[in-house]
Amino acid sequence: MDLYARRRHKNAAAMGLSLAATAMGLGWLVAILGSLLWNGLSGLSLQVFTQMTPPPGSDGGLLNAIAGSLVMTVLATLIGAPVGMLAGTYMAEYGKYSRLTVVVRFINDVLLSAPSIIVGLFIYEVMVIRMGHFSAWAGAVALAVLVIPVVVRTTEDMLNLVPNSLREAAAALGAPRYHVILQVSYRAARAGIITGILLAVARISGETAPLLFTALNNQFWSTDMNAPMANLPVTIFQFALSPYADWQKLAWAGALTITFAILALNVGARALSAGKANLK
Amino acid sequence: MNGTTRRLNFTDSAFRATTLFFAVAVLLVLGGVIAALIDGSLPALRQFGIGFVATEVWNPVTEQFGAIAPIYGTLITSAIAMLIGVPVSIGIAIFITELCPIWLKRPIGVAIELLAGIPSIIYGIWGLFVFAPIVQGTIQPLLIGTFENVPGLSMLFAGPPYGIGIFTAGLILAIMVLPFITAIARDVFEQVPPMLKEAAYGVGSTTWEVVWHVVIPYTRVGVIGGIMLGLGRALGETMAVTFVIGNAHRISASVLAPGTTISATIANEFTEAVGDLYTSALVALGLILFLITFAVLAVARLLLLRYERKAER
Amino acid sequence: MIDGNAGDGHDMNGREKVAARNLSFFYNGHRALNRISLPIYERRVTAIIGPSGCGKSTLLRVLNRIYDLYPNQRAEGEVLLDGADILSPRQDVNLLRAKVGMVFQKPTPFPMTIYDNIAFGMRLYERLPRAEMDERVESALRRAALWDEVKDKLGAGGLDLSGGQQQRLCIARTIALKPEVILLDEPCSALDPISTAKIEELIDELKSDYTIAIVTHNMQQAARTSNFTAFMYLGELIEFDRTDTIFTNPREKRTQDYITGRFG
Repeated sequence: MDLYARRRHKNAAAMGLSLAATAMGLGWLVAILGSLLWNGLSGLSLQVFTQMTPPPGSDGGLLNAIAGSLVMTVLATLIGAPVGMLAGTYMAEYGKYSRLTVVVRFINDVLLSAPSIIVGLFIYEVMVIRMGHFSAWAGAVALAVLVIPVVVRTTEDMLNLVPNSLREAAAALGAPRYHVILQVSYRAARAGIITGILLAVARISGETAPLLFTALNNQFWSTDMNAPMANLPVTIFQFALSPYADWQKLAWAGALTITFAILALNVGARALSAGKANLK
Repeated sequence: MNGTTRRLNFTDSAFRATTLFFAVAVLLVLGGVIAALIDGSLPALRQFGIGFVATEVWNPVTEQFGAIAPIYGTLITSAIAMLIGVPVSIGIAIFITELCPIWLKRPIGVAIELLAGIPSIIYGIWGLFVFAPIVQGTIQPLLIGTFENVPGLSMLFAGPPYGIGIFTAGLILAIMVLPFITAIARDVFEQVPPMLKEAAYGVGSTTWEVVWHVVIPYTRVGVIGGIMLGLGRALGETMAVTFVIGNAHRISASVLAPGTTISATIANEFTEAVGDLYTSALVALGLILFLITFAVLAVARLLLLRYERKAER
Repeated sequence: MIDGNAGDGHDMNGREKVAARNLSFFYNGHRALNRISLPIYERRVTAIIGPSGCGKSTLLRVLNRIYDLYPNQRAEGEVLLDGADILSPRQDVNLLRAKVGMVFQKPTPFPMTIYDNIAFGMRLYERLPRAEMDERVESALRRAALWDEVKDKLGAGGLDLSGGQQQRLCIARTIALKPEVILLDEPCSALDPISTAKIEELIDELKSDYTIAIVTHNMQQAARTSNFTAFMYLGELIEFDRTDTIFTNPREKRTQDYITGRFG
């Protein structure tokens, strides 16, 4: 009986620790979101979304940074998502049983977690140096490189969930493979693929490191894709590390904005794929 | 009918070739990254040779560059992150899979995944302005006080408490890798055949005994894969570390001292680097980081593949 | 009604629409069909029966080369459609499949509207004006005895139909293409008895225009619906004859054992 009591105590201790670990994990989330709200809400006003980034000591907002981030995120998605979808399509459809697919899947999984600053260096070497200057294009391409692996992975996974019986049925009507893919497989996997793209957008929206030496940053409004462009993450980085109180305040407001936008994207994406069960 | 057939077959071949092209493009991205990094780091590697990874001096004025300090910083911050992050992550995964009531599983899972969704710059700004002062005021004095008279450890935890530094960066990284390791640990735990667990419960095992003697041995390879994946993230993490590491190119005995990592050095200095050699030295640092993380991530994926194959059987 | 030499009584049985000659099939080198020779007569229903794993579905999957979708599957021998070998590499498989339609075990409506499900195959090979397309969709649905149930909701999703309706939708989709041969792979195994009866009635009507081959594990169904029956066992064709002969007076003992329920 003594031994049994010891085992029970040991069990209680271990389970208590795992409960504590969970509380700790959730605690971090609450702490981070809490301090974001605490520090960010006071700086958040309409002005943040309507005015340009100010010089130190004067009033301003983050409009140019937000607009620049939107432009580069959209472009990166437009470049990266089709590339990722087509690659994922090869892996799940035409090349499902090929050795190439195994290799691409492995390399893609590695790229999925590769440090984003390396992507920044890569684009610096192949675009910024060649063009001779930092540019919004370079920033968008750097972000696109981060979009690709996410979309490849989800596209392949979602297409693999499409039952083969559906492909057979379409093929049995005389449809060539591309028609089966475009009309049947894509339709059946639509919700999942869109989820993947949204998750990719969420991921790049907050990326800072790959923009540091591609898009750089810009204190002003710019629509020139061949010039440095303002963006929210790098602006937050610079403002937060600056010694000026009003810049730091804007950095918090920007941090709050970006975090909740990304979390909303994450939640929305997941809700979408949860609803895909009835689309089959 | 014949014309139609030809058109359909042509379109099909064209579409197939397009998808194949982009699948190969994924490989080309990897090849491009490696080629660009090697190309960019050649000047530095020619100048310093193997000495680049064996010297500590980092002096832009005299153009002396050695990579030891950032490499050390990268490894030690990641080690701290793993030391703290791994037990906590596995604890959470055990809670979710073995203890948690079903209705709570999803909310907790989503909350942990949201931690992964928070951009790293947010961890940085939070770490610098909120977390570092707390570390400085409580944890660090406590560590210094506790280990003051313990030989060996007193060196490791020597003051003064700066707040920012290697230790704080490691703590932030621990929080950041937590969702990644938890997610994989949870997934592999859930793949343990129920029969195996039921058999263990059937002979009167406690939950902890089932976890320790059945679940963890069965899933070991997968869990290690998840840990390596987290390690890969920690090694390459940039912005959060840049905020709180202190950016000092030196190796200190104390983990409480400021230091630097490869990624923080690049993020901080790249746009200000004047001269080809300086830039090239930074790219060379990037190459080293890429090689280290590639190796770690590749091992992680291989382990996870091996586990999947086992779970399928 | 003794017909000792079925299989070569052409004038009596009709024309050979499809003919397998010495057909063998391999999955990853494992032999699943062993030198099958079998006629499928025009405008007749041929049932293929046998215990699970005997190769009856495999045989069907060779007849429209649907197995081509997968690697490591290979057929040897000949399958003649109107005298031309469809296993030849020169055969265009998409065209073949438009001529030799197939309905599967589980209903497989596409994730699109009922209308688009029917129009799916037609749009590939024909450019039809809208009115004519509507007409063809209607007539296909009528032939499949589904029109009255769906005529007011052609824009609804194919997945919203019941299982029996879904299967009739799949049949409508197949006959909309005006194929010459229809292959039915256990088309009723996932359906309730009422839907099954409807499908069987449908088969009976369709045989005036189409050549039909049906794989079934249900012997009453084979007896009810078919003119000819092939009995397969372990990848071999054991016996082929008129359906009434097979069920009343089989030559082979194994056939008799199977139809009287002694194994399988």
